[in-house]
Amino acid sequence: MFKNKYTPYLFILPALILILIFVYIPIVQNFYFSFFRMNSYSPGQTFIGLDNYKDIFQNDIFYTAIVNNVWYAVISLIVQVGLGLVLAITLESKLLGKERKFFRTIYFIPSVIAIAAVGLMFYYIYNPNLGLLNAVISMFTEGNFRYAWLGDPNTAIFAVIAMSQWQFTGYIMILLIVAIQKIPQELYEVAEIDGASSFQKAIYVTIPQIKEMILVTSVITVIGAFKLFTEIFVTTRGGPYDTTQVLGTFMYKTAFFYDKMGYAAAIAVIIFFITFTTSVFQIKFANKGED
Amino acid sequence: MSKKLLVLSVVMLMVLSLSITVGAQEVTLKFLHRWTQEPDSTFFEEVVANYEEQNPNVNIDMQVVSNDPFKEKIKIMLGTENAPDVFFTWPGEFTNRFIRAGQVMDLTPYMEDGWSDTLIDSVVEPFKYEGKIYGAPYRLDAKVFVYNTKIFEEVGVEEPANFDEFLTVLEKIKNAGYTPIAFGNMFPWAVSHYIGQLNAYCVPSDVYQEDLNPAEGDFAHPGYKLALEKYSQLTPYFNPSANAIRHDEARSTLFNGEAAMMYLEIIEIPTIESEAPEEFRNNYDVFVMPEIPEGEGDPNALLGYPEGFVISANTDHPEEAVKFLKYLTGKEVGQKEAQDLGFVNGVKNVVSEGEIKDSIYNTTQLVLETDRLVNWFDSSLHAEIWSVAGSELQKITDGVATPEEALERIRAAAEDVRAQF
Amino acid sequence: MKNQFEKSRFRLLKKSIIIFFLIVLTLLVLYPMYWVVISSLKTNSEFLSSPLAFPSELQFENYIQAWQQGFSRYFFNSILINIVSVVLTVSVGAACAYGLARFKFKGRNIIFYTILAGLLLSPQVAVLPLYKLLVRINLYNTYWALILPYVGFRLPFAIFLMRSYFLSIPREIEESAYIDGCNSFTTFIKIVLPISKPIIASAAIVTSRFFWNEFLFALIFIEDSAKYTIPIGLSHFRNTLTTNYTGMLAGITIAALPMVILFLVMQKQFIKGLTAGSVKG
Repeated sequence: MFKNKYTPYLFILPALILILIFVYIPIVQNFYFSFFRMNSYSPGQTFIGLDNYKDIFQNDIFYTAIVNNVWYAVISLIVQVGLGLVLAITLESKLLGKERKFFRTIYFIPSVIAIAAVGLMFYYIYNPNLGLLNAVISMFTEGNFRYAWLGDPNTAIFAVIAMSQWQFTGYIMILLIVAIQKIPQELYEVAEIDGASSFQKAIYVTIPQIKEMILVTSVITVIGAFKLFTEIFVTTRGGPYDTTQVLGTFMYKTAFFYDKMGYAAAIAVIIFFITFTTSVFQIKFANKGED
Repeated sequence: MSKKLLVLSVVMLMVLSLSITVGAQEVTLKFLHRWTQEPDSTFFEEVVANYEEQNPNVNIDMQVVSNDPFKEKIKIMLGTENAPDVFFTWPGEFTNRFIRAGQVMDLTPYMEDGWSDTLIDSVVEPFKYEGKIYGAPYRLDAKVFVYNTKIFEEVGVEEPANFDEFLTVLEKIKNAGYTPIAFGNMFPWAVSHYIGQLNAYCVPSDVYQEDLNPAEGDFAHPGYKLALEKYSQLTPYFNPSANAIRHDEARSTLFNGEAAMMYLEIIEIPTIESEAPEEFRNNYDVFVMPEIPEGEGDPNALLGYPEGFVISANTDHPEEAVKFLKYLTGKEVGQKEAQDLGFVNGVKNVVSEGEIKDSIYNTTQLVLETDRLVNWFDSSLHAEIWSVAGSELQKITDGVATPEEALERIRAAAEDVRAQF
Repeated sequence: MKNQFEKSRFRLLKKSIIIFFLIVLTLLVLYPMYWVVISSLKTNSEFLSSPLAFPSELQFENYIQAWQQGFSRYFFNSILINIVSVVLTVSVGAACAYGLARFKFKGRNIIFYTILAGLLLSPQVAVLPLYKLLVRINLYNTYWALILPYVGFRLPFAIFLMRSYFLSIPREIEESAYIDGCNSFTTFIKIVLPISKPIIASAAIVTSRFFWNEFLFALIFIEDSAKYTIPIGLSHFRNTLTTNYTGMLAGITIAALPMVILFLVMQKQFIKGLTAGSVKG
């Protein structure tokens, strides 16, 4: 079909080179960096073996960060996937007519806005003295409600997590809706003949049929939970006193604030292992669905 | 035909040689500072434009990164070959680590050549490291309590003479319904200023200087604990959620009369003059942190290091960079600085009384008359120690950690850092 | 008769309750955005004194100010980087996808899975070495510092997407082109690409969204404020404007609006691309 033996290589080479230079090689280098002590402003580096990793596992902030990432994953599963599923089933049910398109679009809009913009938006919404949230609550309380949602270590991380649920639930919902739309009508008709209520139809027909997509969205959500950076950086920067640190922001702070680039690379390695293994699961389940 | 060719080639040769000589001298200097806000940003634009006019062969490429991102960005930039030629810095450990990494140019030969005679010694001193001079001062600074004289009158209190009196004053103000001290500590440099001054009062200065050396400091002296305890005595008098509020957001509560006082830098006084409502502008005064008699430090020490500029050791144009730096920190710019911005730089007698606002002149005299200027705590510390200290200080502010606990963790961080040297 | 009546009454009740909850959710979604927009049209003192009210006068100057104080620049940068990155990703990606879909050659599977594995790699893990690399090859603080890594990280997805599409195109079309004497390149460009417009559009839109919103690389690889993209510009803006809240909120609206409009106009392609790739953020 082709004259030149090398033609296929010409097609794939540009992409391959770009991916190798800007993705693969840096990721491999990151492993290398993690065994050194180095910073961004001096050229030298000292080999210190596994010391960075030892230090990381003794560092309280590391554990705070992981706990925050896990909280994020758990809550996102419940809200984005759970509520997303309920919304998807509801919007696809026979009860609704043309209204469904309206709701679908509205719920999806937050997810197209840049995370940085949403973060800044909520920074102002949560502001103790001039923010929307406290202004609304003040309508129901005596005097001005001045709670610092992002400033109190007990609520800060949850305030940021809530912001993400606001932003991405609609996104997950749409992915599930697309899957639901592929379910053959006959299955529902059979269930109806058997006398199933809409609730039963949802449980026994819809959910099993979109099992793969539910898994895919769950895995996306979990991976997203460990890739957190912008959300935290723009709202709390990891504060107050490192209580809202997540792995990504902790890595950034270590590299450019503590001057410890090797240590930061080690954190990145840990992020790699977590996201890589979860991603592998996603591909496995996605492929199962396609077959 | 050949005559025309001859003329043409002569003309071309002339044009060529002209462009070579002009082009060869064309120098570009990269200049980085941290003032994104007005009126400083316009000030620098004008200063740079003026220099380019006076020096047509020089082109200044100016970059601005605001305060807190700057602290991270400068490290990123110094790691590259396109690092700025002339850049802003806080003297002390903030600069010293760059000096140790060979990133900062030694200015001693230029200074000894007559430059330092034009500058005030005590303000050049902070820019020395191991006996050599590495930078030049851009503006003096000091930290004082700026207070609302009307509130003080109403509550019936006066400037306190010592720390215990201070606490009494604060209590009275609180009972009268005002926020005693406005405080915005979202970025913990704010609390580091309190601690810097308190340390100077509580710890003997030679011990303190030694402890700031990352290779040797252990912060073992009991004065550090005293300083933290004094600080925690102040925390009930701050506005709530101090750690959630930015410094300038808190400052607006001072201007609008909600808060009685705030610990500010004298370089913020021009902002008072330009932004505060008239009622505040006409009714404020200052006092330094009240002394602590039981402290073993120096009661005359004043927190307030100058800020300045340094030159990259890797600059391609050292002579031009030095010339620009001299201009930036010299008399001409100093006078404009005093007029436009209300800041005083390090040049001797750059302005006299009456040429600038009284409040600025008087507070500047405070700086010039003190025999010991103390550096801001955060710029004095090794980055790793500061990162721990900053968090711990925020915790003390919220009442979540005690001085003992905080000090223990700070000492542990210092130990880790000592091991690296 | 009675049963039918009750049944439909019950249905109506169910529907009303459900619509009620959906509307509550709609308000939860829309109100914050509405608040940002109306606040951005107030003066700062109005904003501070009555945060929930509708502005007494619409202060469009806030937007003009925000635009002049930097957003025109940030927009330009974001658009430029976006267009170049999208064009590069889609063109290089389509060529690679076609090569993988149509040709049998040694190492095809290995190469395909290697590229696919790129989907699993998080940019955060590459950021530090990329920083060092970009400095060394003197691309740090240039537009290429963003464009090249962006393209690198989005190629796997684009290739994956387009390859499945190419696999589904019947070979007869290309075969007849070969009979007419075209070689593989001309076939690719003149025959295959034109009929692949839908998938190219989806790939372009979805990768565009990624580039438009990207934060980490833009934060670290660009230091020149003249080259900031919109997300970084927004963040930088907050430090410049501190107490000019309405100006900030105008900036946020300017940053958010384009993607929202793009989505509303091109909903189908958006969703198609998203579901095919199923990657977030």
